[in-house]
Amino acid sequence: MVLMLSVERLVKRRGSREILTDVTFRAAPGRVTGLLGPNGAGKSSTLRILLGLDRADAGTALVDGQPYRRLRQPLRTVGSMLEGSGAHRSRTARNHLTWMARSNGIPIRRVAEVLDQVGLGAAGGTRVGRFSLGMCQRLGLAAALLGEPRALVLDEPVNGLDPEGIRWIRVLLRGHADAGGTVLLSSHLMREVDEIADDLVVIAHGRVVAAGPIREVTAGYPTLEDAFFALTGPTAGGR
Amino acid sequence: MTFFDTVAAEIRKTATLPATAVALAVTVLGPVAITLINAVGVRAALRSGRPELTAYTSPAEAVFSAVPIGTVGAVVLGVVAVGGEYTANSARIGGGRQITTTLTAIPNRLAVLAAKAVTVVLLVAVAALVVIPASLALAGGIVGTDAPPAPGGVLSRSVGAGIYWLLTALIALAVTVFTRNGIVPIIVLVVNSTLVSVSVLLSHLTPLARFLPDLAGMSMFAGDLLAFDDALAPVTGGLVMATWTAALLALASAVFLRRDA
Repeated sequence: MVLMLSVERLVKRRGSREILTDVTFRAAPGRVTGLLGPNGAGKSSTLRILLGLDRADAGTALVDGQPYRRLRQPLRTVGSMLEGSGAHRSRTARNHLTWMARSNGIPIRRVAEVLDQVGLGAAGGTRVGRFSLGMCQRLGLAAALLGEPRALVLDEPVNGLDPEGIRWIRVLLRGHADAGGTVLLSSHLMREVDEIADDLVVIAHGRVVAAGPIREVTAGYPTLEDAFFALTGPTAGGR
Repeated sequence: MTFFDTVAAEIRKTATLPATAVALAVTVLGPVAITLINAVGVRAALRSGRPELTAYTSPAEAVFSAVPIGTVGAVVLGVVAVGGEYTANSARIGGGRQITTTLTAIPNRLAVLAAKAVTVVLLVAVAALVVIPASLALAGGIVGTDAPPAPGGVLSRSVGAGIYWLLTALIALAVTVFTRNGIVPIIVLVVNSTLVSVSVLLSHLTPLARFLPDLAGMSMFAGDLLAFDDALAPVTGGLVMATWTAALLALASAVFLRRDA
């Protein structure tokens, strides 16, 4: 059940602009790691490189010591959710999950199971284009859970969820980590991260400005919010 | 994960898109409808004793002149297989595109592209196997006993028409990898294969135009229907078009492998 996600000295350039500079951190099994930073800080870019979608100009991003692209049946090792549902809008939720299951040798019965698990049991036959934002977010989570993976990598997972949904995902991720799984999530919402994460990686302008257990990172500040602005603000001097 | 799993997933993915059903309907019903119109015209001309009113009097030509409309369906099938990956969801539902799901599920990009090519080839081949024999039977039935004796080479030209559709669909697939958007390749390729053929226009300027993929490929089935003089021989034309297709697929693979998703 032990699975470590490790990112080491990641550099990514777009044109002449460096959007990630020496990004290094780990997400450990049994812990929820929150990647916290303002919009445009480099959170999504980091996760996309970790998932083999984008290439780094330098550095490594590894899943249990190997690049994501080398995983066999990756959905059974790492469940991920990036922007939105990740489904084509003309396809039904059930058809989307079914082709995913087929590609990774996941039993088709999992499709109905995860749809029920995320509360979309009755919407499986609806085209994704007719979903609400919250339903798309739930479908994205269903896709992440499909292969019963040991690690979950989620980009802004609470985006678009109502308070009940946010509470639901908090319980879900806590349970996953308590069972020994690894959870890495990004967010720009401090309160959500504060309530959900064990470890924190604070990222700003493409650099990691603080990392460690949440109480250590926020030590010396009255709240996470104070810590965040002190660490990421224009006068921040890094760690 | 085996390549078989990847192909099975791609087939399921393609088959559950409404655009695929539309494209298959065009590939099958389009040529049948045009064949019907052509054959009725041929029969009318033959029965009135004025065969010079039509460009041809054989039922087979009524079918082969309907092939371009089937090309439209083949183009759409090729474009949709790749273009669907890049269709952006609206911001209202959180944005995002399917390509991220595809490449996290199947990180082997060469396998993804190969599976898409296999899927498109299977769909177009099945459509061709249904529609070309059906059209020949339909045209023969309509023109009936008035028809002149069947010209030779109907079988080889039928196979040629099917191969032309397959290669066109694969070219459409490769081009859509470059554009990451289905609209432009659909418009350009559909217009080129139905309304105004850029290659035919170019053939008036230079004989080299016959080496362009569409003109070269058309020599596989068009026979005397091809509206220019120094067309390639059918087999040569097929090989030239296949070479274009292979080169474009190779280039598309290289781009797809290197590019950020």
